[in-house]
Amino acid sequence: MRHRHILLLGLGLAFLSLPALAQDSEEISPPRAGLKQDAVPGVMQKAVDDFIRPGYRDLAEGTEALAEAAHMLCEKPSDETLGDVQMSFDEVVQQWSTIEIVRVGPVIEGNRFERFLFFPDRKSTGLKQVQRILATNDETATSADTLKGKSVAAQGLGALEYVLYGTGAEVLPSETNGFRCRYGAAIADNLKSVAAELHAEWEKPDGVQAAWKNPGPANPLYRDGKEAATELLGILVHGVESIRDQRLRPFYAGIIKGAPDKGHPKMAIYWRSGNTMPALSANFTALQTLFNAADMQALLPKEDQSVVSAVNYVLQAIVDDADQIDLPIDEAIADDEQRGRLNRILQNTNDVLQRLNLDFGAAIGLGAGFSFADGD
Amino acid sequence: MAYRNIPTSQILTDRRTFLTMAGAAWAAALAPEAAFALARTDAIYASAFMAPDGSYGVATLTEAGEIIERVPLPARAHGMTWSPVTNRAVAFARRPGTYAMIFAPDDSVEPVVITSIEGRHFYGHGCFSADGRLLYATENDFANNRGMIGVYDGTNNFARIGEFPSYGIGPHDMTLAQDGKMLVVANGGIETHPDFGRTKLNLDHMEPSLALIDTANGALIERHAMPDNLRQLSTRHVDIDADGKVWFACQYEGARNDLPPLAGSFSRGEDIRFVDLPEETTLALANYVGAIAVNRREGLIGLTSPKGGTAVTIDAKTGKVVRQDSLADAAGIAPSAHGFVASSYSGQFGETQSRVAWDQHIVGIGKL
Repeated sequence: MRHRHILLLGLGLAFLSLPALAQDSEEISPPRAGLKQDAVPGVMQKAVDDFIRPGYRDLAEGTEALAEAAHMLCEKPSDETLGDVQMSFDEVVQQWSTIEIVRVGPVIEGNRFERFLFFPDRKSTGLKQVQRILATNDETATSADTLKGKSVAAQGLGALEYVLYGTGAEVLPSETNGFRCRYGAAIADNLKSVAAELHAEWEKPDGVQAAWKNPGPANPLYRDGKEAATELLGILVHGVESIRDQRLRPFYAGIIKGAPDKGHPKMAIYWRSGNTMPALSANFTALQTLFNAADMQALLPKEDQSVVSAVNYVLQAIVDDADQIDLPIDEAIADDEQRGRLNRILQNTNDVLQRLNLDFGAAIGLGAGFSFADGD
Repeated sequence: MAYRNIPTSQILTDRRTFLTMAGAAWAAALAPEAAFALARTDAIYASAFMAPDGSYGVATLTEAGEIIERVPLPARAHGMTWSPVTNRAVAFARRPGTYAMIFAPDDSVEPVVITSIEGRHFYGHGCFSADGRLLYATENDFANNRGMIGVYDGTNNFARIGEFPSYGIGPHDMTLAQDGKMLVVANGGIETHPDFGRTKLNLDHMEPSLALIDTANGALIERHAMPDNLRQLSTRHVDIDADGKVWFACQYEGARNDLPPLAGSFSRGEDIRFVDLPEETTLALANYVGAIAVNRREGLIGLTSPKGGTAVTIDAKTGKVVRQDSLADAAGIAPSAHGFVASSYSGQFGETQSRVAWDQHIVGIGKL
């Protein structure tokens, strides 16, 4: 394989021109301004420094606290130390649900994403593995070193949630150094280890953060501002799609043929710990935070600035509705008022997807099909 | 995907008769300007698109890019194929989509929509058997992380009647050899799972390959893996030239400032050979070739890159670049009377600009 010589990139390429375009009178696209290339590095820098790096730093700190609390529970089991672990777990769910919208970069290398969170677990294959570990007191699951060689489904947030809230969890506040607690502590150690790796990767001055901040010919990730802006907007667009398709619809699909979906509450993420809606709220809050912290508005021409307030308005409405759904998820689906909020979240999710994908993408000069060329 | 099947002379005669009759009825039903465009075009194409309101469809077009007719689709489509024998076209849902719509471009029959079976999704491509009776589709058996080829019966409302492996991960484009006895499948080598949307799950241990499969029994004839130093070179699209040689195009998942080979060819029983493109062409293709087509009559290979905004024409015999055009958001490419016709996400198709986003592929559907 050859490698690019930077000097050559300044040379003009001898493109042949295409014939002049005929214009179908009913089918003409209005010309759009091109991408504001000079604004891209600043936006990417803010995305990295004001959202991504703080996100992984918080996750590293949160998982460290969780691991510490989990070991304390094993050594000194009590309702209080269990409560500390559960509180730390809730905190880590919030931190992960914030930064998990970034599904590019180091997190998708080495199965880190799945090691941190394996979801959905459609056929309960992960649950069965966790239950088998608990039923057989598999000691190789009580050390992060050996646990990481097991199925990704047995070493992440889902597994820890079952340890803390699933069948048999009542032994935790009374059993000193019991198997269940030590398995939970090993999972917490594993989460701490993955989060520390992610934090370290994004803190390397000449690593992924440098590539994000300086699109250019020699850059290993983005050859120009358009590629970088496409990736950033892709996080938002694919983030909304993922939350809708992998987090919302599996447990409540909305109105189908005029009637509300009866729902599958046990398909909801974190239902055992009551974190379903707090996690969804954190997901949408994260999208809004990234959108604003990165100052993506700076990419827009003056005449299209209204897209920003529209996106913010809809994302905020989703977060507000999510925060108001406070019943356990099975009860929320059965409750008229709370189900109405779920319906509205689904509608608004589709709305914000259109605004980001079509309106924002087109306005910053990426074209309506900005996300077309992502691997097909 | 380009026009690939060569029918027998008998079938051709029947087809001409059939198509002339069907085409006359179709033209009579069209709006006057569409009927006029249809009457003067030498070739008809089809391509999937996204409309400005975010809805999806497939359109038939003249070689100049004038839209003849649009058909709505339930979700975004990607690749297309066409059988000249039965005059059926197919639009496949983009991965991880679960539908494919089979329709007659002249509206002579009601469209048929098929959905992927439990545990599978379509990858966006497929092709017909030589007699047009069977439809093959690339599919993902995602629980087992293996590529499959689903087989559908065109004589029974496209019921799924069987399957065989694609002999790789992430099968994408697929085409049929001219004798109809062999399928050529591009296994992109990238693991995806619908639970993770379009996220690529194994970029650090990809397994791209090209597989030749016997249509008689689904058996592997031969398989070509990418060399060890090019394991991140995803083989995505294929076509076949007049000599039966397979041409393939790639998308590179490694460092953006590498300069990997992006296209190549091989004949059955031979090793793959990459096209040695000039550096300026490799740069212009931006490590991402989105579509490939062969103009068999002229011995030309066409490549498009949406990321690089480029369309390239290569001489199949010499491997030399004979033309390189700048085309922003370049999408599909298909053979035309002279060279190729290309489209773009921003609405260009040949010489016409339309207010739609053309999807990644164009299929030639003859001349009615």
